[in-house]
Amino acid sequence: MVNGNRPDEPLLRVEDLRTYFYTRSGVVKAVDGISFDLHPGETLGIVGESGSGKSMTAWSILGLVPKPAGRIVGGRILYKGQNLLEASASEMRQVRGSGICMVMQDPLTSLNPVFTIGNQLIESLHMEFKGPTAKLRKMAAELLAKVSIPSPETRLDAFPHELSGGMRQRVVGAIAMSRSPNVLIADEPTTSLDATVQLQYLNLLKEIQETTGAAIIFITHDLGIVARMCDRVAVMYAGRFVEQADVMALFDSPSHPYTQALMRSVPDLDEDVSHLPSIEGQPPSLDDLPPGCAFAPRCEYASEECEVYPPSFAIANGHISSCWRHSGEYSVAD
Amino acid sequence: MNIRSPINAELDFDAGGKPEYNGALAHAEGLRKFYPVTKGRLLRKSAGSVKAVDGISITIAKGQTYSLVGESGCGKTTTARMFLMVEKPTAGEVYFRGKNIHKLSREERREYRASVQAVFQDPWSSLNPRMRVESIIAEPMVTHWRLSKAELRARVADLLEVVGLHPYHAQHYPHEFSGGQRQRIAIARALSTRPSLMVLDEPVSALDVSIRAQILNLLRELQQDYGLSYLLIAHNLATVRYMSHRVGVMYLGKIVEEGPPSSLFSDPKHPYTRALISAALPAHPRKQREEIVLRGEVPSSIDPPLGCPFHPRCPMAMVECSTEYPTERTVADRHWTSCHLYPASDNTSA
Repeated sequence: MVNGNRPDEPLLRVEDLRTYFYTRSGVVKAVDGISFDLHPGETLGIVGESGSGKSMTAWSILGLVPKPAGRIVGGRILYKGQNLLEASASEMRQVRGSGICMVMQDPLTSLNPVFTIGNQLIESLHMEFKGPTAKLRKMAAELLAKVSIPSPETRLDAFPHELSGGMRQRVVGAIAMSRSPNVLIADEPTTSLDATVQLQYLNLLKEIQETTGAAIIFITHDLGIVARMCDRVAVMYAGRFVEQADVMALFDSPSHPYTQALMRSVPDLDEDVSHLPSIEGQPPSLDDLPPGCAFAPRCEYASEECEVYPPSFAIANGHISSCWRHSGEYSVAD
Repeated sequence: MNIRSPINAELDFDAGGKPEYNGALAHAEGLRKFYPVTKGRLLRKSAGSVKAVDGISITIAKGQTYSLVGESGCGKTTTARMFLMVEKPTAGEVYFRGKNIHKLSREERREYRASVQAVFQDPWSSLNPRMRVESIIAEPMVTHWRLSKAELRARVADLLEVVGLHPYHAQHYPHEFSGGQRQRIAIARALSTRPSLMVLDEPVSALDVSIRAQILNLLRELQQDYGLSYLLIAHNLATVRYMSHRVGVMYLGKIVEEGPPSSLFSDPKHPYTRALISAALPAHPRKQREEIVLRGEVPSSIDPPLGCPFHPRCPMAMVECSTEYPTERTVADRHWTSCHLYPASDNTSA
């Protein structure tokens, strides 16, 4: 594990974040009270299905919640001790540039086809470093070399279509590194990729993490990516974190019924499975959530208690689960 | 889930007294599909061809699932489109119940089109948003059969129950449903003409994780109840292992390895199959796989490498790999691969 001895001060702390959308059909609670810490160099996975609020969590952190319908109505986002929700627009711009960066959904199409690779890298560098273009060009070439692109000097004048898919990925990686961010947010970065290309890309992100020491927030629906990449995991369902744990603890002893059911319903490549236990029903719609635990209508353990939303119970060191089944044994986490 | 519906008894296509073909439901022999590539705007010159599918032979057994796996551009979907008669092969034949589908009479061709149906990846674009569910499901039946309105309505209601929806959903529009429910509607539409072969092109990859198992289980139940054969195209290897009776691994238009899933996934022989499996994500952080990182990129299928198409990227490539295409070699029970690493056997197709 990367974070054997965690520094006390997290790089990013999210406290009770609430992002709501006010629409004609009612209030949509996209993010409804989530809290987590992110330490330097750590990789946090946020797993959830579409509409669970995982992308909105990322956008909230970056201050990119679509206005006017969306509003952050509560909580704090502390980045290096500064509350981003109180930051001015220009301060946020600074943070987005060199503090917290978002990496592209689809690394293959996120380059502009009408500008050269060099143009696009230098544009990004120019935001941070003033100076003659020749100097920035040299920096750009160094970045390309860092992501193992052969003959970087000549590649700077290439257009994206002249590069292969794998090289384009690496260029996008180089742009992400150009501002040496402290936090990289990767929102479903590999959904559209083939298995072998996905593996290359995940390895590239790991490389970038090792070179820059950035913390990564992986937003994904794929438990496999979490198992492959993450140190810690938060499982999100209907706008809330239902379980948070170190990756080993989560896969060894998943505690929340949703996590358990989700893991059981994924086929295993290494074993013959005669029957997959599926989760019946549909994920709830966020503008019409049941009172209490949103998973209760699909949960095999549901009882009357579930009509009140359960607090987070600390069931082990760093392992938090929001389910009433733990109410007797464990204490409520802060 | 109510699978035992009244249509069950009559869904068997062969019940009408047709002679049943013994053996495979469908098979393809030496299937090729080349797309011509031209150069120049004014004076078009031929510049070779994209060899999307380059000589494959597969057999789909009755009541079983044959899966094609491989990366984008390897030709899996083109193969499926040839089975669906959307694409005409450049060479090679597709046989259905022993008959060459390109030599069918008009009437037989209609019948073939009714008995081969497809379910596509994205249920948001495969259902017409301006049609009610009833018309969506009834459309293939209107095309193929003469049924009264009442008969159609009754059958749509039955089909909705078969796929786990309610008859009253017939009056709704697609946008009122979630992804999983839409895929159920697409399955009901495919079932409506009582097919015996269904082409499933990435049937669950657009769905939420918690819904995928539902749809996979539904497809398996339908297969058991109606003896359906599936040609499944999927990139998620775990899904393929769960669904299939036989798996073919494709690379650049060729099948490089074929076998039953237990043997193929637990003991893969072809270096490409091994690389593909090593790139699959683990089910548990402790089960990290040994990584086989491939050199370079998939070559263009306009000008595929001579010999074994995989040799430029293969970690075990030998001299003969660049000159001679390896024949099929049996490596285990009903499991063969096209690779020079294994001794050539005297069988030609397992």
